[in-house]
Amino acid sequence: MALAVEAATATTTGAGRDPRAWDFVRLKLRLLRNGFRGQAWRVVAFVFGLLFGLWAAGLAVLGFSVSADASPDVGFVVAAFAGTAVVLGWTLVPLLFFGVDETLDPARFALLPVPRMILARGMLAAAFVGVPAAATMLGTSGLVLAAGRRFGEAELGAAAVGAAFVGVVTGLTLGVVASRAVTSAFAALLRSRRVRDLAAVIIAVLASSIGPLQWAITAAVQQGSLDQAMRIAEVLSWTPLAAPYVLPYDVAEGQWAVAGLRLAITLGTIAALMWWWSGTIESAMIGVATGGAAKPVKGAGTGAVAALIPRALRGVVRPTAFGAILARESRFWWRDARRRASLVSILMASAVLPIALNLASSGAASRGRTSELGFSFAVTMAGTMGGMLLANQFAFDGNAYTAHLLAGVPGRVELRARAAAIALVAVPVQVVVVVAVTLLAGTPEQLPTGFGMLAASFGSAIAAAAVLSVLAPYALPENANPFAINSGGGSAKGMLALVALIGTLVISMPVLVAAFLLGSSAAGAWLVLAIGLAYGTAAALLGTYIAGDVLERRGPEVLVAVTPRR
Amino acid sequence: MAALALRGLVKRFDTKIAVAGVDLDVPAGSFYGLLGPNGAGKTTTLSMAVGLLRPDAGAAFVLGHNVWADPVEAKRRIGVLPDGVRMFDRLSGAELLAYTGLLRGMDTAAVDARARDLLDVLGLADSGRTLVVDYSAGMKKKIGLACALLHAPRLLVLDEPFESVDPVSAALIRDILHRYVHGGGTVIFSSHVMEVVEKLCTHVAILADGAIKTVGTLDQVRGGRDLEEVFVEMVGGRTATGQELSWL
Repeated sequence: MALAVEAATATTTGAGRDPRAWDFVRLKLRLLRNGFRGQAWRVVAFVFGLLFGLWAAGLAVLGFSVSADASPDVGFVVAAFAGTAVVLGWTLVPLLFFGVDETLDPARFALLPVPRMILARGMLAAAFVGVPAAATMLGTSGLVLAAGRRFGEAELGAAAVGAAFVGVVTGLTLGVVASRAVTSAFAALLRSRRVRDLAAVIIAVLASSIGPLQWAITAAVQQGSLDQAMRIAEVLSWTPLAAPYVLPYDVAEGQWAVAGLRLAITLGTIAALMWWWSGTIESAMIGVATGGAAKPVKGAGTGAVAALIPRALRGVVRPTAFGAILARESRFWWRDARRRASLVSILMASAVLPIALNLASSGAASRGRTSELGFSFAVTMAGTMGGMLLANQFAFDGNAYTAHLLAGVPGRVELRARAAAIALVAVPVQVVVVVAVTLLAGTPEQLPTGFGMLAASFGSAIAAAAVLSVLAPYALPENANPFAINSGGGSAKGMLALVALIGTLVISMPVLVAAFLLGSSAAGAWLVLAIGLAYGTAAALLGTYIAGDVLERRGPEVLVAVTPRR
Repeated sequence: MAALALRGLVKRFDTKIAVAGVDLDVPAGSFYGLLGPNGAGKTTTLSMAVGLLRPDAGAAFVLGHNVWADPVEAKRRIGVLPDGVRMFDRLSGAELLAYTGLLRGMDTAAVDARARDLLDVLGLADSGRTLVVDYSAGMKKKIGLACALLHAPRLLVLDEPFESVDPVSAALIRDILHRYVHGGGTVIFSSHVMEVVEKLCTHVAILADGAIKTVGTLDQVRGGRDLEEVFVEMVGGRTATGQELSWL
């Protein structure tokens, strides 16, 4: 692909011209188009993604237009909160779910004489090409419409509309730059073994910082108090999160100094993030980030088999194919940078969600059935996300999966060993989270219900992930960034994972209902635990049974799908 | 009975035909060289022969067992060294061998004993605790070969076993393969290095553009000439006239 830039440069002016941002955009469009060639399902998935994006954007436009008829305060609050959601979403969602689109891999440009800032600008321009950016732009343009309807007649109406437009564009830019900068920084962080324990601290900090914010917003909404929401919006509007989106309100009131300051905050943040990001581009290019040399394995036992099976597992795991896969998988979740990145992000999310939800509902002073339901739902989400780590499980191995195929490992053994390994790694953390949440909220009587929900959702997710991983595997790029996914195909199948996520929630719904009906009494709570454990185990066994059958027939196809193309 | 028999194997990628109907019989006890230029379809053919890549048409038989209809029996009898495959490289060499052995359902004692032997013979015992990801290219080939040999298969299928291997390791691998064939095993390997093939093989097939151009014992194929000469002629290479690249 780097050659294409060179070619584009060479054909237009012979030689000597630096590539412009437009060249990068064209290169990305070309790569996207080539990715679709001969891949009908990719086109279909892309169209679905596009429709989903249009639908979400349309809803947003509608919402903003309606808000134009409310009082200016309401409009201000809506703009501030929506802006915060957009920027936070761009920053956090790639870390948790989809990863960033690394169609243009910086490493490919390493041999080209392109100055760093030009490269960064080009990569940024290319990052705007895609459904998420287009949908965000379209959706937030509702704010421009709203400004037009609200201030159209006013003295400074035209200026306010212009300010809204500037705000929407700079806001989107901020989001895109932030998503790039944060994922590369986080990637570097997780790649180093020494700081991986630091990740645990980050989890705690993030959890405790999102909690109060959630609480404040939920409390404000539940009390219907505009004053309180207004106060929060005021604070947000002085942060880069909402600053660009409230610009029209300042301009319409003629407060030019305030508007200028907010614009400066936004642009300053963009510049700082750009500078930070371009630094990581450089290190990605020269391969600093390819991960430190792996350390030798510490003193193992005498035999080769004893060395393979970790001490903690000895005695429990027998030396069979199942035991071998279980032992290797459970270690690789920590040894492999890409797996570690997924694992830590998901565990982080599954810790943050229940804690935040619980704080929100306990702060809302509306204790009782709703908060119980919120708790059950949060635990269900946590278990689901834990199991969904396996949604593309074969891609982590890449073509190393060849070894399994050559040995003719039975499909069920394969899938069940992998499921057992992730349970071994993820479930203890989630159990701790559930205990912590119930203790924090002072509701230890919810503990059995929580465990029941966790077991049911985790088992259902294992089942859904097993089927998905066998039917729709896709290759992860061989890239230094563990958050990188391939464009087009990758993100399209990422959408499939979202569908499976919702599917899992539906599958575990019966237990959620049981928890709601029975959870209030002590005996009922224990019954929920029993039901949840049985339901989760049955779902996982059934899912891996069906998917294992498919895997035995589709093994070679899975191998081809997860082999990165060179 | 042939150790490996290929019947009309065809593979098409999108519009490009990678392998266009390959028939091949590898006699038991032979040392078989599959020669071909880059992109001739060697890896594709061997992948289809061992059950890694589903052919569009045709069949492959390992000692009489159909690879695609009865994969379990066929796979039990072959050891494979695939080309350019990432192994589970965050394991040490000994761990990787133990893993491969257990995947194949071998018992602990046999795995331990054979792993120790193989690591010793291949000179990997000293680096027993280094992760495979930190191995050199030659060491990776050797540990891959060890994985292929571990379950004592009757047929070895090796894709480019001598690529990026230093001369000392190459000599070692040659010795081991010689001993294996002497003991009644069969080896088929792909290569584009003539010297290795001439030194080792009893039989040769030349593959180009997805089709077998010529096949037979080494002497039949050579016909008294240099193998390289035959190869270039079969493949249809071109020679530089001196007119191109004048700007160099």
